[in-house]
Amino acid sequence: MKVKKLQLVLMAMLIAVPTLIFSQAKITGLQIIENVYNRETGNDSQGDLTMSLINSRGDQRVRKIKQFVKDFGDMEKSIMFFVSPADVRNTSFMNWSYDDAGKDDDQWIYLPALKKVKRISSDSKSDYFMGSDFTYDDLGDRHPTEDNHKLLREETIDGENCYVVESIPKDEDYMYSRTVVWIIKDKSIGLKKEFYDEDEELLKTLTNKKYEKIKGYWIILSSEMFNVQKDHTTKMELANVKLDTGIPANKFTERMMKRGLK
Amino acid sequence: MRKLNFKIFWVVFALFVFINGAQAQTLNWSGYARNYTGMLLTENNEYAILQNTFNLNIEQSKDKVAYKVNPYIYQYPNQEMEIGLREAYMDIYFNAVDLRIGKQQIIWGKADGVFITDIVSPKDLSEFLLRDFDEIRMGVTSLKANYYLGDNTFEFVWAPNFVSTQMPDESSIWFPQLDFPTAPVFDYSQKEVGAKLENSEVFAKFSAITSAMDFEIMGGYAWDDDPTMHIAKNSTGLTVTPRHHRLGLAGGSFSSTLGGFVLRGEGAYYNGKYFNSEDPKLTDGTVKKNYIHYLVGLDYTLWDIRLSSQFIQQAILDYEKPIKNDEYENTMTVLASKDFLRETLRLELFSYIGLNNSDALIRPKVIYDLADGFELLLGANIFVGDAGRFGQYDGNDMVYAKVKYSF
Repeated sequence: MKVKKLQLVLMAMLIAVPTLIFSQAKITGLQIIENVYNRETGNDSQGDLTMSLINSRGDQRVRKIKQFVKDFGDMEKSIMFFVSPADVRNTSFMNWSYDDAGKDDDQWIYLPALKKVKRISSDSKSDYFMGSDFTYDDLGDRHPTEDNHKLLREETIDGENCYVVESIPKDEDYMYSRTVVWIIKDKSIGLKKEFYDEDEELLKTLTNKKYEKIKGYWIILSSEMFNVQKDHTTKMELANVKLDTGIPANKFTERMMKRGLK
Repeated sequence: MRKLNFKIFWVVFALFVFINGAQAQTLNWSGYARNYTGMLLTENNEYAILQNTFNLNIEQSKDKVAYKVNPYIYQYPNQEMEIGLREAYMDIYFNAVDLRIGKQQIIWGKADGVFITDIVSPKDLSEFLLRDFDEIRMGVTSLKANYYLGDNTFEFVWAPNFVSTQMPDESSIWFPQLDFPTAPVFDYSQKEVGAKLENSEVFAKFSAITSAMDFEIMGGYAWDDDPTMHIAKNSTGLTVTPRHHRLGLAGGSFSSTLGGFVLRGEGAYYNGKYFNSEDPKLTDGTVKKNYIHYLVGLDYTLWDIRLSSQFIQQAILDYEKPIKNDEYENTMTVLASKDFLRETLRLELFSYIGLNNSDALIRPKVIYDLADGFELLLGANIFVGDAGRFGQYDGNDMVYAKVKYSF
């Protein structure tokens, strides 16, 4: 099982109201993307994530995860407990990420069969998360400065007024040649996103199906990534979301990785 | 005895289920059923193993307490059934202290597949090193106390009763080659270590995880898990008397990330370990020496292939030539693993390589998740060389299949 930077799974679902209001006339593509990236997400959060992988024949595999995230000021710690399938139950994963953009995350995995916490290296952000259609970058960790952003137009989708922003990576070797995202103007939530491969062909579409405001933060509760070329879909659903509950700092320790969800 | 044990097991199991029926909602059941079929690559196509396994984890936790019981059954069509409890313990959680009491597997160190500071739980080598690691580690009845201070942990273990390494039966294909000039007579009268307080084992460890590095420092006053073979020559030949000896050790391990690499190290100093010697002046063919065992390892990913390699050295200090072991024994391990088909198919190659004897154990595997929790595994164990720790099993090359359902 491949795991890394998993704290982003929950955080990617938490998209808050922008703290700055720009006038419509002056806002740039970069500012729109920064508003999404620099969202407020509270001091801590927890939730149950269900990820359904559905292939072209309709066969479905389900992964369930319980996750906790806490902001420690200059760093953020997250811990993730795998609930199902049965053969990965009680596996846990901990990530420490740093505000310092030059500092790599620290990551550990606890494998119950080995009864040992192992330090692992951060994997590529272009890797897919647990066999799903989401890469780690797709889950929200890609910094706005890594792409050139251009506001293409404004559109209304499902009654929501959206900015349409095209993002082209500065790194020519990146897995996407460009992405186009529809961002709800007054919520800074990405409502829809298209990913184009290196040959400029449409690769994937991401659609956010359900979002709610909880404790002042916009939370995306259901989203769907469809790989157009492989006819494969990943549905992500978040439930039992709790924000700012004061999760104790010792939740994010080797002790708790071994103890699991007891 | 096995049949009686089996009946007792099911009676206890049924009672347990009955007693817990009322609180079944909070009881956590998990485990697996598995078939394991292995065939030797010999002209006769003999089976190396035919085994059906049932492994059950029963766990329950409340606010400050928890327990776990892990019964297992190995059933064989051609030999006696084996049943037992891999673990059976209770946890008590305090603010900064956890206590675990009962039979438990205790795993220390940063090495993979090598036992240096990881000596608290003895090993079951009934099938050499081929079993999964949770099956090689034997639970040991002990009291474990952990004190936590941030990301630092102080751990203390008291094992009141010594348990030795489980060796293969003499009739097993995994029984190690004996290096004696003539067939000896074994005298097992001194093999057991008496069950009394002064024969306890104690271990202590300090460990920490930090952004820069994880590390452990440990020490122990133990028994050597492997018995020393005391040899006596008499008029009828050789008499070999296996006996365990006390062993003090101190060591540590670390793990750190360097870019995309994880660098690991582990080492221990063993004070007073016995070795067999051919020095004619010795009356029982053994000599006591201090000994160092260490490892360095590197984990990295290249072209989506997870790679890991380790170099291990065992060094006998103040070495004397008649000692049967080499002064330095060098071993390597290599692991390569890659996932396919959305992480449902995994190809893996793991190998131990003995550098002194140019021998090796090569273990290729293909693992396919037919459905969530349902795993098919095809693998081979290829022994290379004709001497040494791995080469001695050159005739035991085998292919095998495991079908496992986890619940």
